[in-house]
Amino acid sequence: MMKILVTVKEVAEVEDDFEIDGLGIDEAYLEYDLNEWDDYAVEEAVQIAEAGDDVEVVSVTIGPERSEETIRMALAKGADRAIRVWDDAFESVDLLDVAAKTRLLAAVVEKEDPDLVLTGVQAADDGFGATGVSVADEVGFEWAAVVNELDLDADGGVANVRRELEGGVEELTEVDLPAVLTIQTGINEPRYASLRGIRQAQRKEIAPMSLDDLGFDASALDSPIALTGMSEPESESDATLFEGDAEETAAQLAEVLREKGVGAQ
Amino acid sequence: MLDYVDLEADLDEEERMIRDTARRFVEEKVKPDIGDHYEAGTFPEELITEMGELGFYAPNLDGYGLPGVGERAYGLLMQELEAGDAGIRSMASVQGALVMYPIHAFGSDEQKERWLPELGTGDAVGCFGLTEPQHGSNPGGMETRAEADGDEYVLNGSKTWITNSPIADVAVVWARETSAEESPIRGFLVETDRDGVTTNKIDDKLSMRASITGEIGLNDVRIPEENVLPGVSGLKGPLSCLTQARFGIAWGAVGSARDCFETAREYATDREQFGGPIARFQIQQEKLAEMATQITTSQLLAYRLADLKERGDLRPEQVSMAKRNNVRMARDQARIAREMLGGNGITTDYSPMRHLSNLETVYTYEGTHDIHTLVLGKDLTGIAAFE
Ligand SMILES: Cc1cc2nc3c(=O)[nH]c(=O)nc-3n(C[C@H](O)[C@H](O)[C@H](O)COP(=O)(O)OP(=O)(O)OC[C@H]3O[C@@H](n4cnc5c(N)ncnc54)[C@H](O)[C@@H]3O)c2cc1C
Repeated sequence: MMKILVTVKEVAEVEDDFEIDGLGIDEAYLEYDLNEWDDYAVEEAVQIAEAGDDVEVVSVTIGPERSEETIRMALAKGADRAIRVWDDAFESVDLLDVAAKTRLLAAVVEKEDPDLVLTGVQAADDGFGATGVSVADEVGFEWAAVVNELDLDADGGVANVRRELEGGVEELTEVDLPAVLTIQTGINEPRYASLRGIRQAQRKEIAPMSLDDLGFDASALDSPIALTGMSEPESESDATLFEGDAEETAAQLAEVLREKGVGAQ
Repeated sequence: MLDYVDLEADLDEEERMIRDTARRFVEEKVKPDIGDHYEAGTFPEELITEMGELGFYAPNLDGYGLPGVGERAYGLLMQELEAGDAGIRSMASVQGALVMYPIHAFGSDEQKERWLPELGTGDAVGCFGLTEPQHGSNPGGMETRAEADGDEYVLNGSKTWITNSPIADVAVVWARETSAEESPIRGFLVETDRDGVTTNKIDDKLSMRASITGEIGLNDVRIPEENVLPGVSGLKGPLSCLTQARFGIAWGAVGSARDCFETAREYATDREQFGGPIARFQIQQEKLAEMATQITTSQLLAYRLADLKERGDLRPEQVSMAKRNNVRMARDQARIAREMLGGNGITTDYSPMRHLSNLETVYTYEGTHDIHTLVLGKDLTGIAAFE
């Protein structure tokens, strides 16, 4: 029996034209959807479950009631059951920082005792990109970030992973289980939920968990980080248009590249 | 997409998820190259099994691995598919409502076991053969006949305008059983690889181009008697299938109209003439206001139909009213949307003219607009004008 815990988040997607309202974006311009990276993480877990014989996929989210629909999508795609962490105390929190999420998710990991935790590399809205690794550190699991290929050897207790590093460099490495892997887009092709899956998902469990259930009080949400302002960055267009035939434009491009230091030893 | 009186706010979670899945599928799998398929006159055949895996064929039926969703969810699916292209919706309508439905409703257990799972996944494709070269609006006049011969039937005749016949594995053929008393209309499951079956493709269509249409030629085709649909006899067999399909069409038409509307609204706010967006002119605003109103009233009719169907009170005449109204609405509004796009509107880069030309077929198939008028006339007066 193997258990995979997948963390998922409902993220706000902003329309092309929007207005800022105080410290946030006006609700009228927001739509909520499953975080893109998490969609890949769910797919990876479901594929492992489909290939193995006794694999349970549990998905966990921290989010308000509205996010049930998002987590239900993960159930429709094949997760077996879900946990939703929420509490009235969250309503008054502007910013749930990485440390708070780490505390909560680590408590869930300790309760569930999974062999593998899959998270997205980052969330499309606040984009801290740190939660997965931070949870691994908290619970003392091995970890690998930005994984774009995963070959799991469950019997050997090892995940063979390929990681995407900066500048197009990739690393092949082995991670001992239990481990946390943060999943990069492109690792697989996430499926659409089938109508049958959507129907079945209505009958799958989404267990609510409060701070109290996890052994915390409202102070678990405290953060040294505060959101102080929200503004749209000035966008400066800095495009150069080369004119002339191929030879001339190539020469101009080469000059710019040399100036920028490309090709220098 | 336009939902002016917030009908979608009252959907339940399952319905919203089905709508979202279908919309995303259309966005990612249909819209990117449907214009090219339309121009080439081809159907995106790789989508046949993909739609099957997602459960898009007869999802409102139960058993045999079918999801058994509600009628409103089924309507929403048809609406989203037709927002992509009526050819895609036609694939799902024919497979689900015209082939799987009669097998499910009138078939033997063996027929259901044999066909429903494979048709459901799209591993088998079915078609529905009712229309004949000499009998369109009046299918009761059909000449295709089936003659009992021992424990077999021998079929002869020809069907035309049959969606998917060239790629079908099985055809539901409606024919007169001439060896029985009064020659009743019966349904026959005809595998297309049997000797004497031909399925020529109709190539010169200017409408519904991203959908495959053909004929079915039946020349002394022998089928075992187990291939007769046991549970139905008479014109009500094919007509009950058409009621199912027309329900989906009433929803689908709203989908194509909504896609036209959104395309026109976006174009009108982006396109600048005389120093500003054309959407600032009252004439363009009037077009959008009218389009939005017509779409909304048709949408209401579709939703009401779903409620009636769900509780088992839907009458075929009510479906006729909705098919007649909603398809005419979509056809009229697609033309207005096309107009608002100026020259760009006549290319495959934008959807309205493609929808407009598809809607010429939708206006005609599944009972022409005129025929539904007569159905309503009969229902309202008690006097049939077509008998
Ligand atoms: C792309 C496409 C796909 C199709 N797919 C299928 C399919 O899968 N299976 C299938 O069986 N059929 C299919 N059809 C056939 C379709 O259902 C018929 O075309 C339709 O029923 C009309 O028949 P007809 O073309 O023979 O026109 P006709 O019946 O000849 O009608 C011609 C005109 O006369 C009018 N008219 C006829 N009778 C009357 C009357 N009593 N009073 C007033 N006006 C009248 C009609 O409204 C129409 O305007 C398809 C058609 C198309 C174009």
